[in-house]
Amino acid sequence: MDKMKNKPQRLWKKAPLKSAYDAVIIGGGIHGLAAAYFLARDHGMKDVAVIEKRYMGSGGSGRNTCIVRADQRTKENLPMHKEGLALWPELISELDYNLMFVKSGCLNIAHSEDSMNELRLSTLTANYFDLETSLLDAKECKEIMPCLDITDAPYYPVYGGMFHDPGGTVRHDAVVWALAKGASRQGVHIHQLTEVQGIKVQKGQVAGVDTSQGFIKTRKVLNACGGYSPRVTAMINQKLPVTVLQMEAMVTEPLKPFLDVSFVSIEYDVFGSQSLRGEVVTGSNMDPWPTYSSNTTACYLKRQAGYLSDLIPCLKSAKFMRIWAGLTDMTPDMAAIMDGNTPVKGYFLDAGWGYYGFKSGPIAGRYMAQFMASDKRPELLKPYRLSRFKEQHRLGELSTPAYYGPWN
Amino acid sequence: MSFMITCPICGPRSVHEFRFGAEDRGPRPFGKSTTPEILYQHVHERSNAAGPQKELWFHRDGCETWVSILRDTKNDLELPLSGE
Repeated sequence: MDKMKNKPQRLWKKAPLKSAYDAVIIGGGIHGLAAAYFLARDHGMKDVAVIEKRYMGSGGSGRNTCIVRADQRTKENLPMHKEGLALWPELISELDYNLMFVKSGCLNIAHSEDSMNELRLSTLTANYFDLETSLLDAKECKEIMPCLDITDAPYYPVYGGMFHDPGGTVRHDAVVWALAKGASRQGVHIHQLTEVQGIKVQKGQVAGVDTSQGFIKTRKVLNACGGYSPRVTAMINQKLPVTVLQMEAMVTEPLKPFLDVSFVSIEYDVFGSQSLRGEVVTGSNMDPWPTYSSNTTACYLKRQAGYLSDLIPCLKSAKFMRIWAGLTDMTPDMAAIMDGNTPVKGYFLDAGWGYYGFKSGPIAGRYMAQFMASDKRPELLKPYRLSRFKEQHRLGELSTPAYYGPWN
Repeated sequence: MSFMITCPICGPRSVHEFRFGAEDRGPRPFGKSTTPEILYQHVHERSNAAGPQKELWFHRDGCETWVSILRDTKNDLELPLSGE
């Protein structure tokens, strides 16, 4: 009977939609909720609303494959991802929520000399930033991932790999719920099923947001909509150098634990890990045309099954259980766009995160919160400004995920 | 998502025979009035319409023709081009 007394508590409070807020965050995913949480916690901006069109984590935040790592290649990009990786254990204790962070390490597998060269570069950059990363030959890969086929039987035989020790997996739903709980406790209002329909601008300054529940007066807006961010920027007549592509992911039936490392194969375009439930969670590359649909394809299921069983022969008889798709907003240089006060004052943008927005969501939110509260761009966000494309200062990130994009 | 694209030579074919070219952004800007700004807009900026969008596709595994179609990006279905 004691159980009846301890009624389950709601993680976040339901709040009425006010007619004015200090800041409005569009997008109730990891990036948006983290920004709201840090705005309230670090900068004393507690009068914040998070507006979500569907339900929290309905977009990329709940559709990714949970892998976290810091394997970026450029020296501008890596420090933030490194900090992001260190933030996970901190968040777990701070938000008092088990995010199921498993530091399993990530194995990048190369199947050609070209890919080995990419991994050599990545390893050097990672070591420069004190991230424990080492270059391996095929035999060493097999030691880390015993199920890997390193004979010459696969279509692309294994040349070698890179082991990134600090990487791992985090449960994505838990992150969304924990951040929502943290933000709500700080006084942030979370409004689900509220669609943004327009952004009102007066004399080059954001004046408010039109939503399906009514108009909200505000002077600061953050666009953190992931795949839908180009649609929101269109409301202020801005176009982004972003292509919205669809990515498909799938899980197999639960299997006994046999894979304690998350892996990425460069040539096969396959990545995955075994979840705590025993399912192998894997994803492939993107459908090579822009779309807003989240329909899945038999063609990719077949392709994934072929590649995966080529690489890991013991998966041959395993069945896929579920398949889903999500949107990725790809930039030409595979790095995010984090900018603010352009082209109108009070408008902030956290977009272009492609398929790697999960691993650094909380840290991106923290820096965007700092940017929004102070109106001063943090040092670490300088490489991510939107004007870099105009100035031809693109980040040289392209080689890390080999050849992804609508152009191949 | 799989869908069909109508090639003017081969008729309706599976999308997997095609390669996506680009959003139809008109011809490339040329001449002395082409500032870096205009070039940037042409090369990088995308409207990413959610709904009907005019696009160019290349029939890679077929007759190797460039095809112009109207496609609804919300459900990936091809729409008839206006004026036909």
